[in-house]
Amino acid sequence: MTAETPAPSRADSAAPTASQARSAWSRRIFDVVSRYGFVIVFFAFAVFFALRADAFLNPSNLVNILEGNAVLLIAALAMTLVVASGGIDLSIGIAIDFGGWFAIIAMRDYDLTWASALLVGVLAGAAVGVLNAGLIVRLKISPFLATLGTFFIGSSIQQIYTSGGGQVPFREMSESFRSLSTGAVLGVPTEIVIAAVVGVVYFVLLERSVHGKRIHAIGLQRSVASVSGIRVSGYLVFVFVFASATVALSGIILTAGLRQFTPLSGFSYLLDAIAAVFIGASMHPQRRPNVAGTLLGVLFLGVVSNGLNLMGLDFNLRDALEGIILVGALALAFANRNNRARAVSI
Amino acid sequence: MNATGEQHDADCALRMEGVTKTFPGVRALDGASLSVGRGEVHGLVGENGAGKSTIIKILAGVYHADAGSVSVDGEPLERIDPASVHRLGVRFIHQEISLVPHFSVAESVFLGQEQTGRLGTAKRAMRERAETFLAETLGVELDGRALVRDLSVAERKLVQIARALIDGRAKLVVFDEPTAVLAAAEVKTLFTAIDTLRRAGKSMLYVSHYLNEIHQICDRVTVFRNGADVGVVDLRQPQQPQVRVPEIIRLMVGRDIGDLYPQRRRSERTRDALEVAGLDDGHRLRGVSLTVGAGEVVGLTGIIGSGRAELVDSLYGLRKIRAGKITVDGEPARTNSPARAVRSGLALVPRDRRNDGLVLDMTVADNVNLATLEEVSTLGWLNRAAAGRRGEELMERLDVRPRGSHAVSRLLSGGNQQKVVLGRWLASQASVYVLDDPTVGVDVGARSEIYRLIADLAQAGAGVLMCSNDPAELLGMCDRILVMVRGRIIADIAAADTDHEHLTALATGGAEAA
Repeated sequence: MTAETPAPSRADSAAPTASQARSAWSRRIFDVVSRYGFVIVFFAFAVFFALRADAFLNPSNLVNILEGNAVLLIAALAMTLVVASGGIDLSIGIAIDFGGWFAIIAMRDYDLTWASALLVGVLAGAAVGVLNAGLIVRLKISPFLATLGTFFIGSSIQQIYTSGGGQVPFREMSESFRSLSTGAVLGVPTEIVIAAVVGVVYFVLLERSVHGKRIHAIGLQRSVASVSGIRVSGYLVFVFVFASATVALSGIILTAGLRQFTPLSGFSYLLDAIAAVFIGASMHPQRRPNVAGTLLGVLFLGVVSNGLNLMGLDFNLRDALEGIILVGALALAFANRNNRARAVSI
Repeated sequence: MNATGEQHDADCALRMEGVTKTFPGVRALDGASLSVGRGEVHGLVGENGAGKSTIIKILAGVYHADAGSVSVDGEPLERIDPASVHRLGVRFIHQEISLVPHFSVAESVFLGQEQTGRLGTAKRAMRERAETFLAETLGVELDGRALVRDLSVAERKLVQIARALIDGRAKLVVFDEPTAVLAAAEVKTLFTAIDTLRRAGKSMLYVSHYLNEIHQICDRVTVFRNGADVGVVDLRQPQQPQVRVPEIIRLMVGRDIGDLYPQRRRSERTRDALEVAGLDDGHRLRGVSLTVGAGEVVGLTGIIGSGRAELVDSLYGLRKIRAGKITVDGEPARTNSPARAVRSGLALVPRDRRNDGLVLDMTVADNVNLATLEEVSTLGWLNRAAAGRRGEELMERLDVRPRGSHAVSRLLSGGNQQKVVLGRWLASQASVYVLDDPTVGVDVGARSEIYRLIADLAQAGAGVLMCSNDPAELLGMCDRILVMVRGRIIADIAAADTDHEHLTALATGGAEAA
């Protein structure tokens, strides 16, 4: 019955041992590269800049990098929250703008104290989030399109009330308000302190609290979250409102630093924030958006622009590098995921 | 030797010998053999992880075997890739239904094999051929223009089968768990289709967890255990299922598992855990009333389209209702969202485990704790040690394998995934458990453990509504069985007063009476 059929495919059955060992090694190297590839590249850049530009490692330059990217970090953290919930927010620029704009108006036209103005700005940002949440939860428009709509509406409002985008200066700004950007707490620039506090809040919220678990569950598989009794709509409202309120803070810092509000200036942070979130996600074992990854992503963008600047190279190179790193990190992350999926789905 | 081997091969539609396949850390197949005779319906059974899927994926060219030989229709294959197997007439009906939701039935059937006329694709011809094929070979009337997303899961399955067979060149058809999503009546339709194909001289390989199905339609069955074949049982000899099925189970698990269904102490009903009165959604449900007593297991069966799925969704707030009252533990329950339903004391184990049951990319511990995160946290701060501990405890209690609450849920087998979903609700202490097809795609060993858990839940005083289309399971587990036909409950019978045939007749024959 079980006649030994000398099938041709059996001939090479003795070979595997050597090639298997080789493939195990290459797999391990591949794993390490794809998991930590970004960190390696990050340090490679840092070392390169340190060698080529003496000023790079100067402590004051490093503080410069942190300070210059505090605003982006706050925006990227907010974006991390939104992306973790399975959405995206294209209107963070609007919330940034509204934060600074309304804070200035509150102080200039209504003589409010700096603290009240801060609150007004944050509430103005939150209002943008409320609109987003309403569109997404009530009208069931996808986050991409809902926030795109908000972006257009918000841009138009700014142009209408600033005669087509004219700056709104306020030179007589109180020192207290101004110190949100230029001051220091125990010798650390306020911007960095604010960004660090926001970072800690987001870390606790997203990585250590039950709410973070639920938000991740909603983002990964919404129907499961719903069936498990999680109030999905409630969480989505929270996510969009909280994210917008957070980025309003960065708008306020911007205006405090410049003593004026420049309409539509928040937009420039949108794409960097998205890139930082996804560079960060590519480092997570399950490719999830995460606070530490986002921080690394933002630092990377900061280091590259600073380094290019110090070396006197074309600043425009930065965008190209950002694009290459983003695409490279994602490609590696997905290549690795496919590999693993194949290995285990028996 | 060689000559006899070849002669033997010539009688075989498929012959796989000594197939070995190793994944990093796992030997999935260890010299497994499988042969399907010409014109034969050949069963393949085994517990999850026995290597059934792997050998089928090797045949499909998805994986490449480390060693072993494969011949189709007497023709040895050296390098198997999807195109070459397809050319030889091997067709796969995969367990997962991969259809484009926004395509029509006809478009789906002809996807990738479109017929063309003078003016591009011959839409009308394709529609007619698809409809005819579905009606004649598979016995289902479907509008070729209907969109896939509007079809029931069972109808999608049939479209998937039609797609594989429409070119008429299939010689060997491999069915991977085809009935997992089907109701009793559709199973019959599928079996009729398989019989038609058998008469047309096609060979079939039929992979299933349902041993009664295997017994019903297969000529022979190969049993896999731990990556190798451990026996072939010939089912053509006239023997009762009572003799054959235990024999197959013994081969599968390598031991007697005793009674599949646990002995339950049936107690007197004291109070109602769930009471539903006049539930109506103005569409599929027409005044459904039912009760489930505390400590009682009530079965609910009904073919696709009977409203069974809609009833479950309405109970759980996944579907809007127009009229009716739901009472849980004597308290009127507002169940217009799943979150509310959970707070009123309901728990749902959904039928679509992979989409609605588990966050596949989360760890087992996270999934177990998902519904009850408050209990392992203080003021919103997640106590990760406590969460992990509870995950471990439940895994221990449910015997989830492999152990380790930090494993990603995607990597578990179907049976173990289902245990994790159950585990989530065990932690929640709900008063009513709605289990929708809780053992679909679950192997015999894990199934008996799930049954024991359900019995434990009832013993602890919860009401269990168990929705299923497996009459054997309903008869084995339930105190009472409700039968749904066309949006109404047409029968409410004690499990002791009915049998397999009677239940099937009620679920399907009821339609004629109405």
